[in-house]
Amino acid sequence: MKKIEIEFTINGKKRRLSVKPNDLLINIIRNDLFLTGSKYGCGIGECGACTVLLNGEPVLSCLTLAATVDGKEITTIEGLAIGDELHPMQKAFLKNGAVQCGFCTPGMILTATALLKENPNSTEDEIRDYMRGNLCRCTGYIQIVKAIKSCENNLETS
Amino acid sequence: MVPFKYISPKTKNEVLEILKEEKVKACIVAGCTNVLPNIRDKKIVSKVLVDISDIEELRGISKEKDKVCIGPLTTIAELTNSEAISKEGEVLYQAAEQFADPIVRNNATVGGNLVTASPAADMAVPLLTLDAILKIESIERKRGVRLKDFFIGPEKTILREDEMITGIEFESSNINKNGCFIKLGLRKAMAIAVASIAVNLEVRENKIAQVRIAMGSVAPTPIRLTVVEGFLKNKEVNSNGLIEEAINKVREEVDPISDIRASAEYRRYVSGILFKRAFNKLT
Ligand SMILES: Cc1cc2nc3c(=O)[nH]c(=O)nc-3n(C[C@H](O)[C@H](O)[C@H](O)COP(=O)(O)OP(=O)(O)OC[C@H]3O[C@@H](n4cnc5c(N)ncnc54)[C@H](O)[C@@H]3O)c2cc1C
Ligand code: FES
Ligand code: FES
Repeated sequence: MKKIEIEFTINGKKRRLSVKPNDLLINIIRNDLFLTGSKYGCGIGECGACTVLLNGEPVLSCLTLAATVDGKEITTIEGLAIGDELHPMQKAFLKNGAVQCGFCTPGMILTATALLKENPNSTEDEIRDYMRGNLCRCTGYIQIVKAIKSCENNLETS
Repeated sequence: MVPFKYISPKTKNEVLEILKEEKVKACIVAGCTNVLPNIRDKKIVSKVLVDISDIEELRGISKEKDKVCIGPLTTIAELTNSEAISKEGEVLYQAAEQFADPIVRNNATVGGNLVTASPAADMAVPLLTLDAILKIESIERKRGVRLKDFFIGPEKTILREDEMITGIEFESSNINKNGCFIKLGLRKAMAIAVASIAVNLEVRENKIAQVRIAMGSVAPTPIRLTVVEGFLKNKEVNSNGLIEEAINKVREEVDPISDIRASAEYRRYVSGILFKRAFNKLT
């Protein structure tokens, strides 16, 4: 299959790759760039575990063709912390016990940062509505919502 | 097996040239939310993937004097952020807010939703009651088609292999401003409709001057309920027994099937209830 050359920025670094026309972004991120924080859950857009930020907006990397990210900017969970200093949302998840097995956590945290960027004073209902496509099978949602709520107005300091 | 190819044209005309050249081999990709699961399941193989996602002229919402124009590449998220849509076509705005989740809405496009032609398509139902017109183009010709004439079966439309949707328009009018969309799913998040309804209504001097009703997931395609519309037209809004009679006619006009989400009997029954809820909200 004829490969396509793409160039994009991921977590602040420029990368060039050759990808197949039908390669999924999630597979490129995990298998070619070894950024295994993004998880492959359902593969059909139902669980949110593969969420990444594309030009600042959350998208599902299992429903994104790798070829389409040419020239764009991606942030994965690995790109949130600055050195050893965790992002406020990561701290909030830890502090509130919002992580159990951790499989959903990268997607949860990235989606939550996008929500608070759009609407820094979200109510609990707004948080639950925005996060409705990110599924967690073990922690439960109470701690997750609490963590996000505790982070309000706090993100700009990151 | 012939491998996939990928092209990302930068203008609409380039796309039309490619469609003419490649014919059935071409597969337009917009938000990818339908195409990618199909590639994964090998329902789509050996295609030339024509990525239109960077073509700005196909994106965006504009309000002209007497109509609203939506580019086919406009995402569902963009609809939920649009004042023009919430003001001129509230029924579409309501449907966009109930669509999947905010992340999928960032990718999923209006054009992709219509061309997929699912009987459940959540953008089709409100655009039917806004009486939308699709602008369809090939390199040789342009045509305008009423959305109600676009669908011909489950996942089948009148679109020819060398054609694409280049615009979606609806009028700025009183009836289009007064609409209600209700989606009944098995749960709140990420649900495919068991049944959905859109109603647009204009009442003048207590009489139904104009009414449009459309439903999803109750027939082989999203449909307009023209028999019920004809029955309601010119009737007094509050006349005795009107709603009850209309509910029965709704149940006669729908043509549902049984599937994993619900039985045909339930869909027929609940269609009447959804009609009542939407109609009452508007009167
Ligand atoms: C998790 C999940 C949840 C979903 N929830 C909903 C929901 O709540 N309601 C709902 O209705 N749907 C839902 N869908 C289905 C899907 O997201 C929508 O139908 C979406 O609008 C499709 O748009 P797209 O841009 O992703 O289409 P694509 O997958 O890019 O394309 C779909 C089809 O349209 C064609 N196409 C696209 N644009 C054009 C054009 N301009 N001209 C001609 N052909 C074109 C493509 O060739 C392809 O055949 C969901 C899907 C997923 C994965
Ligand atoms: S893996 Fe992408 S949504 Fe589940
Ligand atoms: S922490 Fe295990 S799935 Fe959410």
